[in-house]
Amino acid sequence: MEYYEEQDRLTTLGLRRTRKDDWHHGFPEYKVERDDDRCIRCLVCVRQCPYEATFYDPERGRVYNRDENCVNCRRCEMMCPTNAIEIRPWGAFRDNGNWKKGTIRAVYKQADTGAVNLTGLGNDAEYVSYFDRMVLDASQVTNPSIDPLREPMELRTFIGRKPEKWTDPEEYPNLRCEVPIIFAPMSFGAISLNFQKGLARAAREMGTYFNTGEGGLHPDLRDFGQNAMVQVASGRFGVDLNYLNQGAAVEIKIGQGAKPGIGGHLPGEKVTVEVSRTRMIPEGSDAISPAPQHDIYSIEDLRLLIYALKEATEYRKPVSVKIAAVHNVAAIASGIARAGADIVVLDGFRGGTGAAPTIIRNHVGIPVEVAIAQVDQRLRDEGIRHEVSLIAAGGIRSSGDVVKALALGADAVYIATAAMIAVGCTVCQQCHRGRCAWGITTNRADLAPRLPVDIAAERLANLIDGWAHEIKEMLGMMGLNSIESLRGNRLKLRGVGMTQVELDTLGISQAGR
Amino acid sequence: MRRVYPREDRCINCHLCEVACIVEHSKSKHVIDAFHVEGLRFNREDSRDVIDPVEALAIGRAKPLNRTRVDVVDSVFVSTNCRHCAEPDCVLACKNGSLYVNHDGRVLVDEDKCVGCWMCVMACRYGAIQRNPTRQNVPDVANNGINLHCDLCPDRDVPACVWVCPTNALVFEDREVA
Repeated sequence: MEYYEEQDRLTTLGLRRTRKDDWHHGFPEYKVERDDDRCIRCLVCVRQCPYEATFYDPERGRVYNRDENCVNCRRCEMMCPTNAIEIRPWGAFRDNGNWKKGTIRAVYKQADTGAVNLTGLGNDAEYVSYFDRMVLDASQVTNPSIDPLREPMELRTFIGRKPEKWTDPEEYPNLRCEVPIIFAPMSFGAISLNFQKGLARAAREMGTYFNTGEGGLHPDLRDFGQNAMVQVASGRFGVDLNYLNQGAAVEIKIGQGAKPGIGGHLPGEKVTVEVSRTRMIPEGSDAISPAPQHDIYSIEDLRLLIYALKEATEYRKPVSVKIAAVHNVAAIASGIARAGADIVVLDGFRGGTGAAPTIIRNHVGIPVEVAIAQVDQRLRDEGIRHEVSLIAAGGIRSSGDVVKALALGADAVYIATAAMIAVGCTVCQQCHRGRCAWGITTNRADLAPRLPVDIAAERLANLIDGWAHEIKEMLGMMGLNSIESLRGNRLKLRGVGMTQVELDTLGISQAGR
Repeated sequence: MRRVYPREDRCINCHLCEVACIVEHSKSKHVIDAFHVEGLRFNREDSRDVIDPVEALAIGRAKPLNRTRVDVVDSVFVSTNCRHCAEPDCVLACKNGSLYVNHDGRVLVDEDKCVGCWMCVMACRYGAIQRNPTRQNVPDVANNGINLHCDLCPDRDVPACVWVCPTNALVFEDREVA
């Protein structure tokens, strides 16, 4: 928008000029095509676009676009009552396998600003997806497959430390999940309150859990404490005794798959009154979490915090530790298990975020598939697998991925990006800008109502319900009738198009063997 | 009696209720025809398309006006339309009986009787009555038009605005209080 003089900004096209300090906007990425025969000038698109990419020129009686502002969120396309709008990729540079559009634009942007390029959501680079290179087994002739529509099928699972022999269940608090799918940590502030309420309601309805992220628990969500995992991150936002005891479990966040090694960042623009109250920080201030937890520099320190939290919650709640999947993750997870954690969450490098430097999001961490396989194997080898439950996070896109993650050794999975897509996210990666056109990652008063709580809850519950049906079908197909029989059952997996080293790392066989 | 109630915490200022209202009250009930064929657009005062409504009427290009209207105050939006009050002030104020309460509870206007005196506009506490300048029953007077307000879409089970609302910010239900 800086391309135009102020008086022309919102009403007319004006004269476009190239600014040397805003070059990356000089090449629009997307073109908004509007069929003028269909356009009825209802201006829905103009009102719905939070990026000021479209405007009405009353002089000419037409709707025009500032294509350089368009982020391809497609809100206007969806809302247009006459289907007059189509957004197309625009401005391809000369074909170059090495210098792709995004790479070139990133350089422009940094030359413009001299700053760190920020982005939202998960890693969008074209790495190998091991989920897509694994296939599942099915029963034929020699063993019967099971029909989940006619026979019982159990998806219930318990998350937490398991006793070695029979003992008082009180001593081993576990999370009871009716489906092995939990909503991943997304903080109020990063996401809208409506979306978090939707997650909470869907979690309650489906008998699973949502995670507060590091942003505290809003008073409106206190009723949903039984379905909440409350997070303690390096910023300690919103943490007090009451908060810890509200949740069903406490999670210590060490790292996040999208940005291992750096702390959360909530831009000041997103810190509204409600967010500031919930996080217990001043309104409008940047909420920047420290990179490490400054009281945890070793496994021994982690043990202190784990037991501090257990003391605070009177040993009635499992304590989870969430780490990003990085090199040598197996040894780290083993240490976490020995430090007394009940749950270890492994967040793969495809995990999303509300805001992260693009370079870190795209280049740091390892895929969750290998992390789960390695950690599961290591814990089994050391004989302490029963002491922790493993949760796989970061990159779970479908029920197929859920089943594969469980077969590799996870007890449950976290989903977040899939949950956002369920309520309208179009993966436009603008979460960090705080003006999500779908009302998901914003708390701006005019945008947040775009996602009503009941619609969010219904769609999320539908998603979990649908996936649960599919998981049952897949279990039955493999001749299994409970999720417990699938966990760590790598015989049900085969690899396609992988090297022997990759197969060995995942602990699976080549397809056909 | 079922009425349309807005929920202002859900309204997202898209104005699709207005579009749906126009289409529902057009002859063709087709969205593009309603805007482009039946009428030149003249309800938007900031538009170059603004032409004199009487002129539009004369050339047969008067499309219906929207009977619901999204009011915007800062970032609070609400779609305002006729409440169809049980004891409507507008009907009491109407000087020639052109406004009446129908047997089904709807407040309706006799479009052939209304003289455009605007007592109803003055009396309505919700600001839900507009003027329809495309019709005029009293010749040789300054064009006042006639009363225009929500008729709850008699041809539909659920009014068009409720049906189209993407966030269920409008609900059609029976509540105790009118």
